[in-house]
This record gives sequence, C-alpha cells and structure tokens, in this order.
Amino acid sequence: MSSNRVVVIGGGPAGLEATALAARLGSEVTLVEKRPELGGTPIAENYAALTHGFQSAEDLVGRLIADATGSPAVEVRTGAEVTAVSGAGGDFAVSVSSGGDEDQVAAGAIVLATGFQHFDPGRETQQYGYYEFPDVIALQDAEAMLKAESFVTPSTGRPPERVAFIQCVGSRDRQIGNEYCSKVCCGISSKQAIEVRQQVPDARVFIFYIDMRMYGYWENEIYWPAQEQHRVNYVKGIVTEILAKNGRLLIRGEDTTMGRPMEVPMDVVVLAVGMEPSQGTRTMADLLGLATNKYGFVETVHDTLDTVTTNVPGVFVCGSVTGPCDLDDAISSAGAAGAKAVAFLRAGAGVPA
Amino acid sequence: MTRGVNPKVEPGRVMELEHAVIDEMDISGHWNRMFEQRVIFDYDVEKLDDVTVLDGGESMGWCYQCAQCVPVCPVDHVGSYGPRKIYRNLQLGIDLFTHDDLWLCTTCANCLRVCPKEVDMLQIMPAVRTEAVLNGNVPAELQDVFEKTARYGNPLGKNPKRRAAWTRGLDVEVPLISELGRKVDVLWWVSDYPSYHPRGIDASRALARVLTYLGVDFAILGAEEHHDGDSMLRAGEAGLFEMLAEHNIAALDQYEFDVLLTTDPHAYNAFLHEYPARGGTYDVAHYTQFLAERIEALGLTEEIGRTITFHDPCYLGRHNGEYDAPRDLIGALPGAELVEMWRSRENGYCCGGGGGGMWLDGLAADNQSMRLSEKRVLEAVETGADTLCVVCPYEVSRFEDAVKSTNNDGNLAVLDIAELLAMALGLATD
Repeated sequence: MSSNRVVVIGGGPAGLEATALAARLGSEVTLVEKRPELGGTPIAENYAALTHGFQSAEDLVGRLIADATGSPAVEVRTGAEVTAVSGAGGDFAVSVSSGGDEDQVAAGAIVLATGFQHFDPGRETQQYGYYEFPDVIALQDAEAMLKAESFVTPSTGRPPERVAFIQCVGSRDRQIGNEYCSKVCCGISSKQAIEVRQQVPDARVFIFYIDMRMYGYWENEIYWPAQEQHRVNYVKGIVTEILAKNGRLLIRGEDTTMGRPMEVPMDVVVLAVGMEPSQGTRTMADLLGLATNKYGFVETVHDTLDTVTTNVPGVFVCGSVTGPCDLDDAISSAGAAGAKAVAFLRAGAGVPA
Repeated sequence: MTRGVNPKVEPGRVMELEHAVIDEMDISGHWNRMFEQRVIFDYDVEKLDDVTVLDGGESMGWCYQCAQCVPVCPVDHVGSYGPRKIYRNLQLGIDLFTHDDLWLCTTCANCLRVCPKEVDMLQIMPAVRTEAVLNGNVPAELQDVFEKTARYGNPLGKNPKRRAAWTRGLDVEVPLISELGRKVDVLWWVSDYPSYHPRGIDASRALARVLTYLGVDFAILGAEEHHDGDSMLRAGEAGLFEMLAEHNIAALDQYEFDVLLTTDPHAYNAFLHEYPARGGTYDVAHYTQFLAERIEALGLTEEIGRTITFHDPCYLGRHNGEYDAPRDLIGALPGAELVEMWRSRENGYCCGGGGGGMWLDGLAADNQSMRLSEKRVLEAVETGADTLCVVCPYEVSRFEDAVKSTNNDGNLAVLDIAELLAMALGLATD
C-alpha cells in the first residue's frame, strides 16, 4: 500500500520549505527535528543578519516556521530523531524516537534536510590557535556578538581597534580533506566586516583572502559596499599562523600583491570557517543507504539536471545536505525536493504526477 | 620637499650588509643596499582615508587589485607604477601627499579606460595634488612653472607682450582681433608653445599659411591670451587655473567670433569641459577637426613622399574621442603612407607631457628608466616611418629631444600636421 505522507528530516530552512511545499501540494507531512526547536543552524548558531540583504535571520526563519507549521496536514516532531527506516519508496516505515519513546511513521517519500555544520577550526592542520587564544574566534562567534550588538575583544571586553578576517579556514584544503569551496564564507565575512564597522566605527577591519568569491549579486551588494563605503581593507594572501606577541595577536603571512612578508598585530581574528556535512547528514545518509561523495555530502542522480533525487527511490535531499550552499539556494532546492517527493507519491498511487 | 634625495626611502629603511658574498660574488657594502624593509609590520590605512576623504579622491578606495590598469599605464613601462600599486602603497601607509608617485601620473586616462571599478585617477590626482600644493609639497621645477605662469601668463616665463611676435615677417597676415575691431569667423587660440617655442612657431606659421590659403576669416588674441590653465588644474594648481580662466573668459567676452579654434588639445579640453561652468561657452574646434572638414577645399597636390606614423594626443583622443580628424588629414596628403604604432587610438601611449609632466623632467628622470617621449619615439622608429606626425604643441619639442637622446637623429622627423599640409600645398616655409 502507498502512503500520502512525506517525512521531512531536519527542521532548518530547507526542511521547513520542503514541508510547506509538500503540504501545499496536498500531502501529509511529518517534520522530524532533533533539536528542541525548529529553525536549524541559523537559529541555533545565533545568525543575526543574513548575508543576502542583511535581513533578520529570526524574522525570515520565523516566516518559514509559520508557513510550515500553519497547515493542519503538518505534524511537527521536535526533540525527535529518526532511528531506522525500513520498506521501500512508496511504503517506508520510519522509526522516530522521542524522549525515550519510539514509534513508526508510514511514509511514501522522505526528504532529507539535515544540513551542515561549521568546520571546527581547532582541528587538524590549522595554525590559528582557535582553542588557545580567546581573541581568535569563528564566524558564528562573531555572529553571536553582532547579534547582541556587542562586538568586543573577548579577552578584554573592550571594542577592538583592529579586526582581521581570515578566509578559507577548513575549505579548499587537501590536507584537511575539504577540497571544495564553502561558497558562503567570503560573503559572510564581508557582511560581518560591514557590521563591525557599523558597530565599532573606529575599528580597522581587514580581510585576508586567497580569492574573493563573491558570486552573483554578492559582488555589488556586499563586496563593493564593504570596500567602497565601509572602507574594509582587502589584502590578498591568507595568514599562515597566529602568534601571541606583547599581549596582542600577531598574524603572519605574505602580502602577495606586494610580494612581501607581513607581521601585523590584531585585536580580534575571525576565522571564516567553511561548511561540512552535519553529523545528522552523515548518520541519515548511512541509515538510508544514500550515495555520498568523499567529503560526506550526499550525491544526487545528476549534479546539474536533478539536484534533489538520490539513488534510493523515494528519498530526496535538499539544502546543504548535498554540499555547501547559501540560504537562497537551500530554499530553491527544498522547494524542488518537496515537489518531487509529492510527485513520487502520486506516481506510486497511480495519479499522474 | 627635499629634492635630490628620493623621499620615498625612509632613512630607517636603508639596509646594507657590511660583508655579503652570494654565489661567490662579493657584494659587501653598498652593493647589497636595500631600500625597503621587507616585512610589512603594519597597515596604516589612515593614509588611504586621507585620499578618499577628498572631493574627487573617493574612488581611490575602490581598487580591487585586478591590475588591468598597470599594463596600460605609460609610467609602468619605465618604472614601477600604476593605480593598483598606488592603492596598495596607500594601504601600507605611504603618504601620497609627499611622495614622488603623486607627480608621475600624466593623467593620460588609459587606466580609467580599462578600470572595471572606475577608479578615476583624473579626479584623484588633481585632488591630492591640490592638497599638496596648498601645503607647499610641490617639486621645485613645477613650482617654478606655476610661478612663471602666474606672473607671465605662460609656463615658459616669456614676455607676455611678445606673445604675437611669431607673426612678424610672416608672408601672410595674422591680425589681432583687438585691432580688427569687428567680428571674425574664427578666433584662433594659439597657446603658449606655438607662440614662443621655435618649433611650435614653425607649426603656427604653417597653420597661418594654411588658414590663409583656405581664405578663412581669422584673428588671434595676442597678448590678451593667457595660458588656458588645463594642465595647471591637472597638476594641482586649482587657484591658478581659476585665475587664468577668469582672465581668458573676460578677454574672450570682448570679441565676437563664431568658432574658437585651438591648436592645443589641452586648451580644447579646458574650453569644452572646464570653462562652460565658469561662464565661458564657445563653439570650440581643434585645428585638425576644422581642417579635416575642409580637405576638399584644401585640394592638396604636392607629393610629399613620406612614411608617416601618428601619435594620438591623450587630450584629443582618450579624453575627447577624436581619433579620425588627424588621420583623415594624413590620408589626404599626396604620396604619404600612414603606418600605425602598435599602441594607437584608444590605447595610444602618452608622450609624458600631460598632467604637469611637461614640467617635471627632473622628477621623471629620478624615477624612470627613460622618458615616456623616448619610449614613444622608439615605437615610432620601429614602424619604419620616417616622420612622426603630431597635433599637440607639447609634443614637437618633447619628441625632437627624444629623437636626439635615443640616437635617432636623421631617422625620424617630427612634424606638426600643419607643417605637412603646408608642404602638400607647396606653401612657403621659413
């Protein structure tokens, strides 16, 4: 027998959009979220303003939550985890564990939206002292301070005079194993650099980069204003190491367009950490038998023509489950995944998709 | 500013090893002297802010280091220069207001042509120079020209009363408009070098003959004409420019004429873009434009038997978009073949005279491996041409000097288009 239910795993922006779309198209949806609250990483990691358009993450994710949960066809299970899946496309039995209880949900299709996690800048080959120096922070740490409108040097609690962003931390690195570009960090760093300049106008802000990858409108909406209006200083050449000297951080690298070494003091260094598949993505991909690439992201049946259908019939993926992406792209792929999941149900029920 | 000592080398940055042997070669002492601290210890971006805060200086902060400007910067071919590098130096805390780099830009506009960010050195350089001038940080040789121009109305420091002396003994009449006492069709703005410099005078006399041959009703201002001021403005003497413009507009206001005919592309530029906002609006034409419209009437007949290459003046070409009029005239010369240099038209290489460069030969020598005019003459010789045709009065003297200094005396003649036209008309020469 076939079910008219879609199980969406992951209650972040992508999962919320997939849920809303599948419900709007007439399916019943069970949305399973491991965290006690919906909203995913943007909420859990204190995102303040989103890179595209500087809109409030809370407001936008709140709209997604309202859309997804407003329908009577949607059942939300927070603080719940998928522990097993049996059956096949059209007739899955999804075991959901919540607060020690476990039950089975019958579903015709599954959408996986378990997302990414920030690269841990303390691991492996990084020489940036993330766990050693309190004033070396990551993008999400900076984001939390910006959200509280209190961007300070963590060790002193005072506003910093000099702030450096270091790009490509945990991305584009063969030794770490993440050879891909994480797509969003150049934009987020530039966005945060603007916000630091707005909140701490006397601070000098620098961005050290290998290549600035400000694709599409991020170029004119973020990169150019950051430099032209907010006087953020971009220096080509990322930092090799961070040392402590005279109570200050000393960043050492090469200023490549000058062809000269640099040793420059900073108060706060923000590491532009990249994206990795979340633990949830790894666990679910394994549990569902999904093909993954060497980085642990899920592969789809075609990397250009079908970015949401997996090798397992009836299982669809969206958002950063398949690789680094920004929110605009996550929402787009989530809509596609929700629609294709419903199409799959109808085809199974003999209804033309 | 102290001249003779390169001011961009701070004493603390001169490094010299007493004993040094590299690859078995003894380079002890001054042979291993380095003038730059290798390690960058700070980014003092206040120096960049000092520029971007100026009216006109804003776009200095827009550079994203694509470096497209550098290959087309004429100065970079004879030294290390270019807007990209100036931006980086500012980020590194170099004070552009007291640095030689401030005076090397010739405002040739080739960087702006290729800049995706529209970093506009044509605004930036005059803005920063104006500040430097106000603070007295001007190369002495340029300051001398500012003073001469203020005092005599021409950068050569010549007697202003003798501005029309070049017309004496000429076989055609060049009337002063003040003496005609009537409206003329064409008021000829002769400019400084065509009035005073011996080779400029040759071209003026040729042009006077050509205009007379055409039956043009023309006159000149004589002593009432002062330097147009355009290059002073680019060089940072905004006050001097205002003074000159005010004088010239008042002088022109006294007379009636249809066309203001300019010999100098810099004057042409000023009349087109600077004077109107100050109350001086004219129907202005460069002499090549005026003559190119009258090629049929000229009826050139004399074979001149020359292979000619043409140098585009920055302020006629890139600044004002006129590339064809001079070429039309060269094309009409009987027995002349035009061969283009590899950098021409929109990408023409600067002679080095613009933006104050005309009067900064010493500074250029301190900072460049050769003059831009020498670089250009070598390109002209490379074409196989026997004649370098010019249509800007800054150029005859610059290029003739460069012909000599590059040992090309006899290989390349530098002639104004007016001189070539006079030859093709079989008119008298001096």
